Amino acid sequence: MSSDWETLQNRSFLESNARARAIGLADPGTFTELAGPRCRLSSPHLPLLGEAVEFDDGIVTGVGRHGSRPLFIASQEGRFVGGSVGEVHGAKLVNIVRMAHQAYDRMLAETPELPEERRPAVVISFETGGVRLHEANAGLLAHAELMDQFQDCKGKVPVIGIIGGRVGCFGGMGFVAAATDAIIMSPFGRLGLTGPEVIEEEMGKDEFDASDRALVYRVTGGKHKYIMGDCNLLVEDTIAAFRQGLGKVLAMSYAEIDRLRRIGSLDKVKAQLRTLAALVEIAPRDSRDVWTFAGNPAAETLVDMKLDDFLRTVKRLENAS
Amino acid sequence: MENLIGQGRLAIDMIVDPDSFREGVVGTLQLTDEEFGPGAVVGTASLDGAICTIIANDAMTINQKFPVVYAGIIGLEEGYKMALAVYHSIEADRDRAPGEKRALVLIVDTPGNGAGKLEEMAGMNKATGAYQMALAEARKAGHPIVAIVVGRAISGGFLCHGLQADHVLSLSAAFNTMIHVMPLTSIARITRLDIEWLQELAKSNPVFAAGPDFFYRLGGVEELVDSIPAMRDRVIAHIAEVRALKAAGREDQLGPWGRGTLGEVRGGRTVRGRVMQTMNEEFAKVADRYLK
Repeated sequence: MSSDWETLQNRSFLESNARARAIGLADPGTFTELAGPRCRLSSPHLPLLGEAVEFDDGIVTGVGRHGSRPLFIASQEGRFVGGSVGEVHGAKLVNIVRMAHQAYDRMLAETPELPEERRPAVVISFETGGVRLHEANAGLLAHAELMDQFQDCKGKVPVIGIIGGRVGCFGGMGFVAAATDAIIMSPFGRLGLTGPEVIEEEMGKDEFDASDRALVYRVTGGKHKYIMGDCNLLVEDTIAAFRQGLGKVLAMSYAEIDRLRRIGSLDKVKAQLRTLAALVEIAPRDSRDVWTFAGNPAAETLVDMKLDDFLRTVKRLENAS
Repeated sequence: MENLIGQGRLAIDMIVDPDSFREGVVGTLQLTDEEFGPGAVVGTASLDGAICTIIANDAMTINQKFPVVYAGIIGLEEGYKMALAVYHSIEADRDRAPGEKRALVLIVDTPGNGAGKLEEMAGMNKATGAYQMALAEARKAGHPIVAIVVGRAISGGFLCHGLQADHVLSLSAAFNTMIHVMPLTSIARITRLDIEWLQELAKSNPVFAAGPDFFYRLGGVEELVDSIPAMRDRVIAHIAEVRALKAAGREDQLGPWGRGTLGEVRGGRTVRGRVMQTMNEEFAKVADRYLK
């Protein structure tokens, strides 16, 4: 078991499947999958449309440990209908977050002096385009439930988002990710609300040329999100690196984790509005204009820079945590 | 009058007490810049004699700074402006007892969130997320939040402005209200499924079809309102009902979670509960190992 776990650690996060990521993010040998494929809880809606199902509906949910904490884990599988959220997929995701704050309540009832480092935590590996169109209405409603559950975690349980899969994190899940306490990305991770293809389709190629992969990464990729402060930690593309990033966040006090959040309070909204006003002022045509504005005169060189060098030299926007 | 699409401001006047709406003012918030997020209308009004916060869409504006934001689209400024109105409502009533917090009324007519390159560079996901987080916080702080769809409630726009409310109402389909993620024609193109076949399936399957009736069956909308003049009374009634449920500690019947349960009761979302129950039962067997 443990040696399998060891080999997982050095694997590319991008290339791994959702289950390997979930197992690898937890402490060795501690991951227990809940409502796994053996339960055969597949989508009842896809077959009506003549589509294939998966027995886990494209998401791995379970519980593991991270040091002294119980870790509630959800990991979306981009290779199944783009990691999209249907009724079953959504229910698993919503419930894993709910289980975490309920576990906290239970632990607190048993141990009123529960130390912070024993509190449960939630980690979600986002790899999704958002709502699954084949069961769009149910998927949409699950998004709202997730935002609701996050609010129930506030002040109790840290919720950490991880984005390093091939599909990125788009659609409604883009704002679900934005509502987590901390976001960890690799340079290959992508985060946004409206995907480049959709923008091109709705607004035309002049607005966004989705076939320009370099542009797509400059606008939605991990490095840009790090400069913006929209992701808190940027890590290499291995399961071990994401796990170390997770460890770094979970080693902080809850108050420190709370400060990592980009939105979620009046002060943070005001700070976002200040950044927005500054961006309107410089009217960026490309993310490189934003990077220059943030204090990186040789913006172009950041694109291909190795992560170590990037992290050492890059200047982030003023509000970036 | 046949419908209220694009008439967000008119809908405000039809719902609140006559001449009571003060735009741009919520608690200590005073917005004077008319060019700031013009697609979002926020302010304070009196409803049946009680103070409330109004958040609505104005589809007749264009945001000069953001060319993709018009016709009721919620852009970066609009999302943050709506969030400001919510936080200032919470702030203004911070010292009031939970039963005395002002209501928030969301008047919904939006085709979605801003879709543009600048939006993605700046992080449109944060603006819409910020508003939803503010609403969830207000709801749990005791503010009754009632949304009413008077026109369009499309996909991420509806998630942003509507689905975090305690109760969601909608004018019925007779008023051309639109609630969906995508029209069937787009679903057909993207999923490469036959449109005529989809249309046939949509008659009986609420899970992907468009329209307020289907959202009602899924529990996504608490009540369909069948006349425009009735909106005011129904909003007032739902605020009272929400207040009573909060006072009784029945938050589990409100908001997104309450609508999850409602979806099961109405037979539209039947596997959701089974999935959650399976997880809970499996976890119960191993919980001691993890929670020690």
